[in-house]
Parts: sequence; structure tokens; C-alpha cells
Amino acid sequence: MPYLDISHLEKSFGTNRVVKDFSLPIEKGEFVSLLGPSGCGKTTVLRMVAGFETPSAGAIRIEGKDVVPLRPNQRNIGMVFQAYALFPNLTVAQNVGFGLKIAGVAAAESRARVQEMLELIGLPEMGGRYPFQLSGGQQQRVALARALAPRPRVLLLDEPLSALDAKVRVRLRGEIREIQRRLGITTIFVTHDQEEALSISDRVVVMNAGIADQVGTPFEIYNHPASPFVASFVGTLTPFEATVVDPAAGTVMSGGLTMNLGRALAAQAGASLPIALRPEAVHLGRASGREIVLPATAREVEFLGSVIRIRAEAGGQAFLLDTFNRHDAPPPQPGEPVEISFSGRDVVVIGGR
Amino acid sequence: MTSSRIWSWVAFGLGVAYFLLPLVGMFEFSLRARRGEYSFDAYASVLGDPQFRTTFAYSVTMALVTILLGVLIVLPTAFWVRLRMPRLRPLVEFITLLPLVIPVVVIAFGYIRLYNTSSILPLTGSVMGTNVLLALGYASLSLPYMYRAIDTGLRTIDVPTLTEAAQSLGAGWATILGRVILPNVLGAVLSGAFLTFAIVLGEYVFAALLNRPAFGPYMVWISGNRAYEPAALAVIAFAITWACMGLISLVSRTQKHTRARS
Repeated sequence: MPYLDISHLEKSFGTNRVVKDFSLPIEKGEFVSLLGPSGCGKTTVLRMVAGFETPSAGAIRIEGKDVVPLRPNQRNIGMVFQAYALFPNLTVAQNVGFGLKIAGVAAAESRARVQEMLELIGLPEMGGRYPFQLSGGQQQRVALARALAPRPRVLLLDEPLSALDAKVRVRLRGEIREIQRRLGITTIFVTHDQEEALSISDRVVVMNAGIADQVGTPFEIYNHPASPFVASFVGTLTPFEATVVDPAAGTVMSGGLTMNLGRALAAQAGASLPIALRPEAVHLGRASGREIVLPATAREVEFLGSVIRIRAEAGGQAFLLDTFNRHDAPPPQPGEPVEISFSGRDVVVIGGR
Repeated sequence: MTSSRIWSWVAFGLGVAYFLLPLVGMFEFSLRARRGEYSFDAYASVLGDPQFRTTFAYSVTMALVTILLGVLIVLPTAFWVRLRMPRLRPLVEFITLLPLVIPVVVIAFGYIRLYNTSSILPLTGSVMGTNVLLALGYASLSLPYMYRAIDTGLRTIDVPTLTEAAQSLGAGWATILGRVILPNVLGAVLSGAFLTFAIVLGEYVFAALLNRPAFGPYMVWISGNRAYEPAALAVIAFAITWACMGLISLVSRTQKHTRARS
């Protein structure tokens, strides 16, 4: 039995169905991210788990017990908000101790727990400060400590990093994951940032138009997207339309080019098959193990720092490719003829392996 | 100094004179109770009058009751409208403005008709009942000020998120209102409270029609029967109002967590 079991959840606002038959079993201590564009229903699912929205249908069970009839303050679920939501009139220590005070925890025990939480988030000296005296990153850490202090059964994180600047965001997401691992708390994290979701989750749920398009580990989601939406939303890729030639041998044809994907395909010969290439699978120039070599023309060159992203065109088809930046090998200029190479084994079959 | 600057100062001086001269005149007049020299005799007479003390104490008590009643009615209403029914805000604002539109005499007569001794709820039949009716009347008179002050205070905080944060930490509605919302809009509540205090202290129509021993009717009575005392009373009333204003700014400055905002 899963620790947190969301089954057949539905939510409609008037005639607008924002969550459709959403099911997700989560094991104890798991870190699951809900990833999707705005309006896909991910925050609504989170708010239903928290109790701020009532599902139109379905059940949310924690340790086998349905929590839907319970009010938000009866669920013992911690939540961290995008806007921090620290109480401005209370000090950091009072904020962290708020849930403990409501739970009727004795003063001495509460003080010790608050100190423990402040040490956990690396702000042991900040107990006496007010929220306005802290930076955004510090405020969000306090919000995390406040949510964790009453030992909630589940932790919900609603885009907690979105309001922070890039460097703080990367550092804090590592800290959040570290704290979550240490406490072993079951966590649902909502984000629209795929890098964030892939980097810290045990499993990722990619949501689109109220439906869970794919549930899997970051590795599975990235390498074996189950739908064209997942393929396009997670990472960058170049899509192709191919025709299956020999499904047993894994041979397909696209734009007059025959490719062997190195694995059997679950499709009939002659059927069309959506395939794609990740930019990191395409190499600039020839390379061993990349049997397909195409003459191309560089069209756009984007310098991203450690990586250079090139859009090249071969036989009327655009290819995106990433190459590491090397100070002794300047990238091609737009319009310059180049050679690109890739292997059929690196081709991503959308909706199947 | 340029000529435009001179004219600015002239305009400023005229404005100050317009407001201050009547006050200075009144103050000067209030000191003339003793023939041929200035004295505080009028003030001593007013402050020594047992009727002043009882009416003032009565009005202060009524003001405190009204403030409590107003906060209890307005804070949860404004909070709920902001949290759950933002579409109703224009309607609630309109309702709270009604006491400014309808003359107090009309409201008072309406109350007397509704709650007289032959009605289902005969509040005017006893002293305590009349006091309750008066407090309710004052609370309705203070609605426009109290609602606007509290609603403005609520606008400065993220009511829905703070409420949800408190709920997720186990707080019920009373805790949310008392320990999260109220402390964060305390400055606004106090400014509404002091305005209410000033209104109740000077209110005449309600108290006179309900025949209660309030400060407003006393001021009217004394101005018809004495020469220097009304002026002294007016100066005292001004001093109280200014003290209230001073308290508002003092309280809003001493709130630690709002220092960064100001």
C-alpha cells in the first residue's frame, strides 16, 4: 500500500475540468515533482492534497485513510509557498514555532525544536530577526523550517524557488533535497522548471491539460518520453517523422535516410513513427560510434558558456546540436558548411522505446 | 528668493492663518473668564463640573464598546470578503458607506421605531437596552471609517497566502484572525478605532434622541448656558482629537515589523 495514494482525482471549476482522472501512488520518503506548464493543473492537485481545494471526485489517502473530508488544519501536511508567506509580525523563531504552539507543544520542547530546525536550515543565529530583515533565500529556508517543525506527514512545495534569483535557486534546491533525504519526509514539489524537477526528484509527473502524461524517474522521462508533449516539454529536441521499414531489426526511414535504431520496434512495417534527437546526441564533425554522417550548413550559433548550441540544416531538415566549448576550437560561423554525425541508437522514439 | 517662491509662502501663511486664527481666538477667549487678566478658570470650572466627568466617562465607555463592536463586525467581514468573496467588495463598500448618505436623524428615528417598547425587541424599554441600541447606532456610524481603515490594512498583506500558511500549520479561523491577521493590520485597526473614538465623543443626535447622558449633548447644553466654558470645552475636545492622531502615528511607528515598510 502506498504511503500517499492519490486516486482518480478530478477537479472542475464550473464547466472547466482542470484535473482529469489523476492518480499517483507515492511511497514513504519519496520526492515526487509535478512538472508542467502553467494552467496544467499541477498546483490544483497540490492544493487538493493540502485541503485548500475540494476534489470534484476521487480520493486522497495517507496511510490508507482518506483525508478529503478533513479540513486543511486537520491534515498535518506542511506546505511551502512561492511567496514565502512568513508571518510579518513574528520573528523567525516565532514563525518556526507557530505550528508547535498551535499543537500545544510545551515551551521548552518547542524552543529546542525551533533551534533544531534553525540549525537544519543553517540559520541558527537568526531566530530573533523579523522576516523583512532576511533575504529571499533565507526567508524561504525559514518557511521550510516552519513547515517541517510540527513533523508533518507530507511536505508540499508550491514552486518554492520561482521567486529567487538563479544562483540562490540552484543552491537552495540542493539544500531542500538534502534536508528531505535526511528527514525522510514524503514530498510533492510543484514546478514549471524541468531542470529543477529532473535534478532533485525520485520521480517526475509530467502534466498536461489536467492529465498526468507520464510518470517516471528523471532518466526515464528524459530518455523515453511517452508522448510528443513530454518530449517537447522536457529538454530540447529535433523531431522527425519516420516510416518503419523493419520493426524487428529496428530500421526506419526518414527523409530518404535509413537508420537502424538498434532495438526492435512495437510498430508495423510501413507505419509512421515520431522520432527525435536530443541536441547532445548530435556531434559536430565525425566521431567514432556515430555511423550517420550528414553534410550540413550552420544556421545559428548560440554561445551558452560551457556549451555551444548550433542549429544546422541538412537536406532541408533542421538539427539542434550541443557541443562543449573549447577555447582552442572556435564554433562555426552561421552559413559555414559543417558535418554532423549521430547514431541511430541515440534516436528517441516518442511514445515507446 | 524668486517671486513664485514668495507667493508659495504667502499662500502657505494664509492657509495656516485660516486654520489657526479661529483656534487661537477661541483659546484666547477661553482664558478670559476672570475680568482683566488671563486665567484657566473656565477650564477649572469645566473639569470640576461633575456633569462633565460623568458625560465624558459615559462617552469614553461607549466609544470603547463601539470600537470593540466595530472591530468584531468589520475585521471578520473585511477578511472574509478579501479571502473568499472579492466580487462582493463593491457591494460591501456601498453598504458601509450608507451611514454617510442617510442622515443620522433618520437612522435614529428608524431605530426608535424598530426597537421601541411596543416592538418585538423593546430595547428602549430599559437603560441597558438603550445603551446597547446607542452602541449599535454608533457602530453603524463608524462603519465607513472602520471598514475603509481595516480594508486598506488588509490590502498591505497577502491575506489568502498567510491564511493558507496558518491553516497548513494547524490554525483554525479564530487563531488566524487573532494571531495572524489582526497583528498585521493593527495600525489600520487603531486608526479606525481612533476615528471612531473621535466620532462617538462628539456625537449629538443619537445620544440626544435616545436621551442618554453623553458628552455631545452636554457640550450643546453648556454652550447654550455658559459664556467661557464652551470655548474651554472645545479646546479640550481638540486636544483629545490631536492626542488620538498622535497615538495613531506613535503606534504605527513602534510596531517593529512595520519599520521596514515605512
